[in-house]
Amino acid sequence: MRNLSRGLWLGVGAVLLIVLGWWAWDRFRPYAFHGTVLQSAEPAFDFELQSADGPVRLSDFRGKVVLLYFGYTFCPDVCPTTLFEVQRTMELLGDDADQVQLIMISVDPARDTPERLKEYVQYFHPSFIGVTGSEDAIAEVATHYGIYYQKHEGTPATGYLVDHTATITVIDRKGYVKLVFPYGTPAEDMAADLAYLIRH
Amino acid sequence: MKAYRWVVRGVYAFFGVVIVAVVAFKVFQPVQVLPRVRLAPGFILVDQDGQPVTNEDMRGKVVLYAFFYTRCPGDCYGVISTLQAVQAQGPRIMGDIPFRIVLISVDPAHDTPEVLRAYAQRVGARPEVWIFATQPDPKRLKMLVGGGFNAYYDIQPDGSVRLDPHYVLVDGWGIVRGEYKYETLASTQERILRHLGVLAEEIRNSQGSAKLAYEAAHFFLCYAP
Repeated sequence: MRNLSRGLWLGVGAVLLIVLGWWAWDRFRPYAFHGTVLQSAEPAFDFELQSADGPVRLSDFRGKVVLLYFGYTFCPDVCPTTLFEVQRTMELLGDDADQVQLIMISVDPARDTPERLKEYVQYFHPSFIGVTGSEDAIAEVATHYGIYYQKHEGTPATGYLVDHTATITVIDRKGYVKLVFPYGTPAEDMAADLAYLIRH
Repeated sequence: MKAYRWVVRGVYAFFGVVIVAVVAFKVFQPVQVLPRVRLAPGFILVDQDGQPVTNEDMRGKVVLYAFFYTRCPGDCYGVISTLQAVQAQGPRIMGDIPFRIVLISVDPAHDTPEVLRAYAQRVGARPEVWIFATQPDPKRLKMLVGGGFNAYYDIQPDGSVRLDPHYVLVDGWGIVRGEYKYETLASTQERILRHLGVLAEEIRNSQGSAKLAYEAAHFFLCYAP
């Protein structure tokens, strides 16, 4: 009887250790982000650009996770593909989507008026914001976020095109650059990373 | 009841081992990394052959950026000799990881592509490793070098240039991993070469289970000196 009791306790102990081990691993292992992670000690570069509804500052969205995307409304393929993927990300986030704000910054300020940008981005999601500004203001913001862009010739139908970096920069709720999603990151991966940032 | 005590001891031992392992990882730092400082700036420059060179061209490559001007006297505050040493040893340290040096002139009015090309030949730059470039628009150049790379330079009214030597190490994801601005006990050259080795190790081990150890090193700020 005494041997049975000891065996029982040891069995309980073994199970407890396995459960504890699993819990500790699940709780304390570093989350493996799908995007490229940064641990910047400086807050993200703040800017003020124009939307159809007035000036927009990055710092206005402190408390939300901000996705910065540089594109333009005449963009034939890369921009709509990316924005559709972010739209799907918002759907996957469900109720958490209202903690996420996408801001598209135009790299074609000559053609993208604030009104045209608003109509374009809201086709993908009603919460998306499109902003533009002077050539110098856009260049300054793009420089700070590692974005290259340059006009090149298109066809008579498309007009000129703009080559540009197609990454999405993620700024956490405290205003620090936290992640970069390369072009083509699936919505499921973005949603998982954003959900983690919202919860932590 | 003795068995019960063993279970309690086992739980304490488990937490003890976890805590000791975490403290040992932080203290002994079996894995060291370079910090992920911030996003490297975006740019479009003109190289010594008059061709455009952009930060997108550098994606997937480890790049050491530095700043100079061809009229800079002598070794230009040690920049040229440092980069010559990095050119000689960097590619060997990086192995099959693509590596480039981009030396940006802050004096575009004088440093045309022809001038840069002649200078590159004079200092023995290998074009497959070491690129010379500048941005013809002084305002955009200041935005890039001063605002994006945090490097100081100033063009004086008489056209002369003031420059603080500054090097920036950027990984293939476009993230700044090292900045070398001030002299320390170890020379800038030594630190850059050592950091290239640390970065190469991390890149080689950035897949599979070893990646977790590197992420833990970032989490616990186990940064290489």
